[in-house]
Amino acid sequence: MNMGRDIRYYDVRHVTGQTTHIDIDNSVIESAGTSFFSTAVVRVLGPSGWGILTIDNYSSPEGREFELLLSNAASLAHITTEPVTLADAPHGVLAVPPMKEDPRDVSLEEKTGVLGEIESSARLPGIVNTRATYIERDEQVYFIDSSANEYSFGICRSGFNIMAVASREGNVQMGYERLHSIHGLNIRHQQEMGRSAGERALSLIDAKAAAGGTMDAILDPELAGVFAHEAVGHASEGDLVHEGNSVLSGKIGERIGSSLITIVDDPSLHEFGFDPVDAEGVRVGRTTIIDQGVVGAYLHNRETLASVGNGVAGHARASPGEAPLVRMSNTFIEEGDADLDEMLEGISTGIILYGSRGGQVDPGRGVFQFNAEYGYVIEKGERKAMVRDVSLSGEILSTLHSIEMCGKERKMSQGYCGKGGQSVPVSDGAPYIMLRNAVVGGSGTE
Amino acid sequence: MRWWVAVAQNEVLLPGDMAGLIDTIIRKGEALVEEVEVYIAGGESVSAELSKTNIGIATGSKSLGLGIRTIDHGRIGSSGTSDPAAWRKCLDAAVSSGTLATPQEWGGLPMPSVQERPLLSFDPEVRVEAGIVEKAIYNMLKGAEEFPVKVTSGSADISTGYLTLANSHGVRYSTKKSMVSVSLEAISDNSTGYEFDQSVTGSVDPENVGRKAAFFAHHGRSGEGLPTGDYSLVLSPMALAQLLGNVFVPAVNGRSVHAGRSKLAKSIGEVVVDTSISMYDDPFRNYGPGSTWWDAEGVPTRRIDIVRDGVLTEFLYDLKTGYRYGKNSTGSALRSGYGGLPGIGYHNLVFDGPRTNTRDEPAIYVHDVVGAHTANPMSGDFSVEISNPSWIENGDFGNPVRKAMYAGNVFDLLKEIEGIAHGERVIGAMVLPEIRLSGQRIIGI
Repeated sequence: MNMGRDIRYYDVRHVTGQTTHIDIDNSVIESAGTSFFSTAVVRVLGPSGWGILTIDNYSSPEGREFELLLSNAASLAHITTEPVTLADAPHGVLAVPPMKEDPRDVSLEEKTGVLGEIESSARLPGIVNTRATYIERDEQVYFIDSSANEYSFGICRSGFNIMAVASREGNVQMGYERLHSIHGLNIRHQQEMGRSAGERALSLIDAKAAAGGTMDAILDPELAGVFAHEAVGHASEGDLVHEGNSVLSGKIGERIGSSLITIVDDPSLHEFGFDPVDAEGVRVGRTTIIDQGVVGAYLHNRETLASVGNGVAGHARASPGEAPLVRMSNTFIEEGDADLDEMLEGISTGIILYGSRGGQVDPGRGVFQFNAEYGYVIEKGERKAMVRDVSLSGEILSTLHSIEMCGKERKMSQGYCGKGGQSVPVSDGAPYIMLRNAVVGGSGTE
Repeated sequence: MRWWVAVAQNEVLLPGDMAGLIDTIIRKGEALVEEVEVYIAGGESVSAELSKTNIGIATGSKSLGLGIRTIDHGRIGSSGTSDPAAWRKCLDAAVSSGTLATPQEWGGLPMPSVQERPLLSFDPEVRVEAGIVEKAIYNMLKGAEEFPVKVTSGSADISTGYLTLANSHGVRYSTKKSMVSVSLEAISDNSTGYEFDQSVTGSVDPENVGRKAAFFAHHGRSGEGLPTGDYSLVLSPMALAQLLGNVFVPAVNGRSVHAGRSKLAKSIGEVVVDTSISMYDDPFRNYGPGSTWWDAEGVPTRRIDIVRDGVLTEFLYDLKTGYRYGKNSTGSALRSGYGGLPGIGYHNLVFDGPRTNTRDEPAIYVHDVVGAHTANPMSGDFSVEISNPSWIENGDFGNPVRKAMYAGNVFDLLKEIEGIAHGERVIGAMVLPEIRLSGQRIIGI
């Protein structure tokens, strides 16, 4: 292949596949169908920075046509001025774990029926709306670069969300559950998840709005996972560190938290954020971001590894048809040795928070916010009244010091993480954790 | 310099071919189902991204998608593909999807009725050229130089697109869209500043974007904490857009209303916002980002007075929800992409009322909020971090605030509006002023 004088490197990532969705709303099958996509990203590293083409309905041109494509990308790169270099990184593809039951082998009709069982199980007395959605995305990925690396793999992710809405005298509350997987169809025998969503919505009708303030807090594994993701994960992304838009810039080797805290990102784990190889063809593996309270490493792609250092490449991820960015995959807090009872006993007045409605971070300022689905007031070590609509916010560099206990059992939860207009599948997890003097937000006044 | 010198794909969509393809799909589809709708969207864009003060990435994109919807005895099916040559597979998938859908009341797709009119959301002067985004980037950097801050990232993007909607009753509507947007982020110590601008016509002001992002980063240094308590707030249009978009907009969606997911379901005729305020969807706004004469299923659009003088007057409907609940479509069908079914949304949501000076008295200024998507869309309760919190004193920015969490309820705060400022900003497809609120709960540190 003639790369042309101005091209130092190129790669092509072509993703084809199909997305199947089912939406059942108040027992009505609103939609159930499949859509198809084929999209590619061609990246060229010019004398300075990147020229990138994203192309729907990519036709895999060869020879002269492909050279023309590269030269189009190279001509875009002419406006770049950032002196980009790429660090060497190991290549290689992990095997995609086999699925227990391949969703593609189950008819859409059968999946719709099974999802309907989850939806109807959420319809308890007092529930005014139930909605279940199923999503299945089957991707075939083909990658090639100018260093003769070439790989392909297929992966199918599927899962469901169930939401229930309760309403009484103008008070409207929701409960929801979700489960997504790379291990195959996971919607069978999940009626309990539906009931749980319904029961949650009903209990929240009687819950009070949490009173905001500074107090001791226990986070359940799901919320503590979101905490790891928002409070630490994003700020460790090499592109933000390079730009000077992270409070963790220049903090390698510094203690920023309690020695109980170790936070890891590992795309090689067989969780929802699993990638057999990263979006630049680099072998994936574990990065210990915070090692017993000390900043250990950043998450990198080849470019940020070269410019920032401290860590390994292999954290480039991309939505189909989008350019790779440095992203988290499976992010978690390592287990400690405390029991939940011990944590409760250590709190005279505080709050225990469950579930997550998501979160957000301003990594440069070092301030994060995330929201629990529900919680309970703690008085003298005991769980008391249920509270709703409660958030937690904090400053990255001080909050990790306030973690006083870390539980024994870690649990991972699945979700999607947004950055730069892209959304990628991730999982977050942790054991229960206990924080002293957390800033808890709620609109209640008592 | 035109970035896309030559392409080897997508040539199927020459205008003549597109018309032929649509006719073929509709003819074949009619042999299988009662009604067929075809939606084709494509476009090109160019963007440049800053890494600190250097352009690190320049991207050119070419997008294309074909969506097919079929209706047969009230059963609605859909599919989409990025490969128009694979239309047959897409049509079969749409028909097959319809067989699973629950049948519903259905009065038919619209007949042709919209005459050809001037394009509302397109400027032929907008050119998708790398040199233009490059210039915009440098103008932002120039603006940012007015304050001693570090630029961390930024981008400039130009896109143009075309849409064609056709159905088996003879509807053949086409339109074009254009959009130019710029944004910049800067930092000074641990104070960050973000600003952006967008325009259908390309009349963005990159230098001002750079200046404002740098101002907020510079201004926020060494802020003091704030005790927990009730305060007067001034919400920027950006902060207001976040709260409205995550809570109020879903609550006036006809589907949410009838499905039991809206707190406003039984509030038609009631005061839901301060009585000085009106909110309406204006699909005919000249150069509005969402302006259109017809919605995503070919229904003629019209102005919708959602809230008039504080009173809730109308919800938004598409055909499907309208037929199901005995309401007329308000021309509010929107598509986010080529796959799947259209949903309900607004074209240009305008927030209006008598204007006043919102900065006469001291207040905490809220430039943006962190975490608005975690608000409870049913109850309206939220607690979010404020971006760039600062005192407003003597009509201008006073002392910055280090960290402040804002907790409240969107439905309640809309009734607590003390005034709305002169001027407005286009945020996404919302047209919003700055507003002033009293008695809002801030959780300090």
